[in-house]
Amino acid sequence: MRAYILKRLLMMLVTLLLVTLLTFTLMHVVPGGPFTRDKQLPPSVLEALEKKYHLDDPLPKQFLDYLSGLLRFDLGPSFKYTGKTVNDFIESGFPYSGKLGLLTLVFVLLASIPMGILAALKNGRWQDMLLMGLATLGVTIPSFVIATGLLYVAAFRLGWVPTFGVEKWQGYILPVLALGGYSISFLARLMRSSLLEVMGQDYIRTARAKGLTETRVIVRHALRNALIPVVTVLGPTVAGLLTGSFVIEKIFAIPGMGAHFVNSVTQRDYTTIMGMTVFYAAFLISMVFLVDLFYCLIDPRIQYK
Amino acid sequence: MRKSLVWLLIIAALLALPMANAAAEPTQELIFALQNEPDGIDPSVTNNSFAAPFLFNVFEGLVTYDTADGSLIPGNAESWTVSEDGLTYTFTLREGLKWSDGSALTAKDYLYAFKRILTPATVAQYLGLVTDYVAGAQDYYDGTGSEEALGVKAPDDRTLVITLTAPAPYFLAILTMWTFDPVQQATVEANGERWTASPDTYVVNGPFKVSEINLGESVVLVKNPEYYDADKVKLEKITFRYITDMGTALMAYESGEVDGSRSFPPTDYARLRSGDNGLVIVPAYATTYYDINNAKAPYDNVLVRKALNLAIDRTSLIEDVIQTPATPAYTLIAPGYVVDGKDFVEGRSTFGLSPTADVEGARAALAEAGYPNGEGFPALQLSYYTNDTTKKTAEALAAMLSENLNITVEISNEDWAVYYNNIQAGNYDIGAMGWGADYLHPMTFLPLLKTGDPNNLVGYSNPAYDELVTKAQGETDPAAAVKLMQDAENIASAEYPLLNLFYRSNTMLLRPKVQGYLFDYSGNIYFKTAHITE
Repeated sequence: MRAYILKRLLMMLVTLLLVTLLTFTLMHVVPGGPFTRDKQLPPSVLEALEKKYHLDDPLPKQFLDYLSGLLRFDLGPSFKYTGKTVNDFIESGFPYSGKLGLLTLVFVLLASIPMGILAALKNGRWQDMLLMGLATLGVTIPSFVIATGLLYVAAFRLGWVPTFGVEKWQGYILPVLALGGYSISFLARLMRSSLLEVMGQDYIRTARAKGLTETRVIVRHALRNALIPVVTVLGPTVAGLLTGSFVIEKIFAIPGMGAHFVNSVTQRDYTTIMGMTVFYAAFLISMVFLVDLFYCLIDPRIQYK
Repeated sequence: MRKSLVWLLIIAALLALPMANAAAEPTQELIFALQNEPDGIDPSVTNNSFAAPFLFNVFEGLVTYDTADGSLIPGNAESWTVSEDGLTYTFTLREGLKWSDGSALTAKDYLYAFKRILTPATVAQYLGLVTDYVAGAQDYYDGTGSEEALGVKAPDDRTLVITLTAPAPYFLAILTMWTFDPVQQATVEANGERWTASPDTYVVNGPFKVSEINLGESVVLVKNPEYYDADKVKLEKITFRYITDMGTALMAYESGEVDGSRSFPPTDYARLRSGDNGLVIVPAYATTYYDINNAKAPYDNVLVRKALNLAIDRTSLIEDVIQTPATPAYTLIAPGYVVDGKDFVEGRSTFGLSPTADVEGARAALAEAGYPNGEGFPALQLSYYTNDTTKKTAEALAAMLSENLNITVEISNEDWAVYYNNIQAGNYDIGAMGWGADYLHPMTFLPLLKTGDPNNLVGYSNPAYDELVTKAQGETDPAAAVKLMQDAENIASAEYPLLNLFYRSNTMLLRPKVQGYLFDYSGNIYFKTAHITE
């Protein structure tokens, strides 16, 4: 087990390195630079800017410099926002995105798994139809539509919650609903189909034949196995939720990290593109790793050597 | 029993008294929604218009604008003299000027700001404003000139002398820009680039100072008690809240959670215009146009450019497409500059153009150019940068051109960073562009068509025009300068170097209870004398 963990950690570092290299290369291949602004900059200022941010160095040197910064957890200065660093963006944005993501995750889990189980147990009946109908809507309606609709009705028309921000706790309600909509629907459908498949297995028949109560059959024997696919997609879902959503954070004016993912690309803010990608990649890889460890807990057959 | 009732009434009346007073005196606090975060708030460094709400309220330069009528008035300088040759400006600073940390502000601080801008490592984005006008500035920047040769001197704490390379009668208007604001040497040197990152180190000299900076969320301004004119400053607190989504900002405004918003969705304009809900509209000193590649065939032909200009229905563009207040533009320079009570554009020719399209005239011009009924005309590449409003305009424009001229129009779009490089490289036929004036003077527009100017992106070149512009730059008499500039514009406009579309307006939402602010031609808001009335 220890050897396995060490091996995985090493692999994670290699993956991260590859992600970094790939992003770096793609970013420099895309035309346009970070200093094209709405107003023309004099050539001497452009030169000074390139010198200041070491963009006049050869690319391999720039990459190595970036890596050495990364080792010290220094993601470098933003090219777009004078006097701000990429670390500033993460330090100020992640608490918002993370808190919103965590609340959403709890909500998603509490809603989607019972929904999936209920739909599976009432397979083909009206409860199943209703829940899966809702889930289809949740997967197909884009989150910005849900967000705008909720905002208009609950905040603007009814005045139940603030229209923007999370300064008050009520401010979290709508973003959590809008952000969680897709994940709930997706996980509920997955839970349902996975549980249905397990319920048809031989060992469930065996368990029933032994005379176990239906509750015991489902909770002890079916659910544990049915959860495995759900846990698998949970890794990327957690990473996605916790690192912020551009659309949701924009609509609800939440100062999280989501905006930087998109804006840094259109602005060619090189260090921010790198920093956001590396941060997200590291987060995602760690989550996938945790999920793999988690398998051992739910399924004793899975062992790592 | 009755006695106690009387007592109760007295107590109730006493309690009600201070409450009534509180209702009469509204709290002087404001929450204002902004849609964009600036790339920096260092006045010497940034040229980002999103920094304006901060810089125009927490800094003040030598001259400023009167919030009552928008005219130029003394700022940090109480008075100034201009030498007869129009080259030397001698400013006398007010007595007892202070930074927001209580330390004295002197002419040396101004000198320091100039020298800092002229240091390459500062990467001042508005560098050109200093090097173009101030004597010895370019040499100082290049490292070939000494401080002695630099045309900025601070002979004593209250005197600042600025010498120009050539007379520029509009130099005082240029001085209102934040680039010329002083910065405090002590805090800049102690904190480097990050002096703007925290309220403690962001030392300012304007009506307000910053009390909170929440990255991506808000910036809070409070009254600066050290400001020389602090008695006139009524607002105690302004919270600039970033709400990047215009739809959300509008809902926050209409539900009363914010008192104002810099932008709102253009589609709501018609609805807002009809109600009494604090929609503020001010003509902008700004023009929206399309660059025409004058250096490329067939657009090097005046008749082709004329045909393009005639084929546009500007009224329909304004009313049906952008749906925001604007007026049709036939020439580059927007109305707004007034000398001796007369606007620069009064009596200006329309150069044969009208608010709606002149299809026959356009086809005739195109035929005369050798393309009868559009035959043989190469496919026109219409480019624009990725942006919702720009997209709508581009699509409408493409439809008008292809229909009215019977030519093929191909539309393409790109991110601004790529788009702008293409335009600069002359790699386009016609492309979306626009110009928002930095200062209220026609000279902000004229260099756009001058030979060799870095902002001349259309490749237009006419020696007669260049000569008149150069002459006007050196003309110290405002009326004579206007005549020269009008002549220059007439020469260029007759050759249709651009596809001018409309003169814009600035709009924002601000509750009518807020009074005494200035919303100017650049869309800048000065809250110095603003107050809440009800």
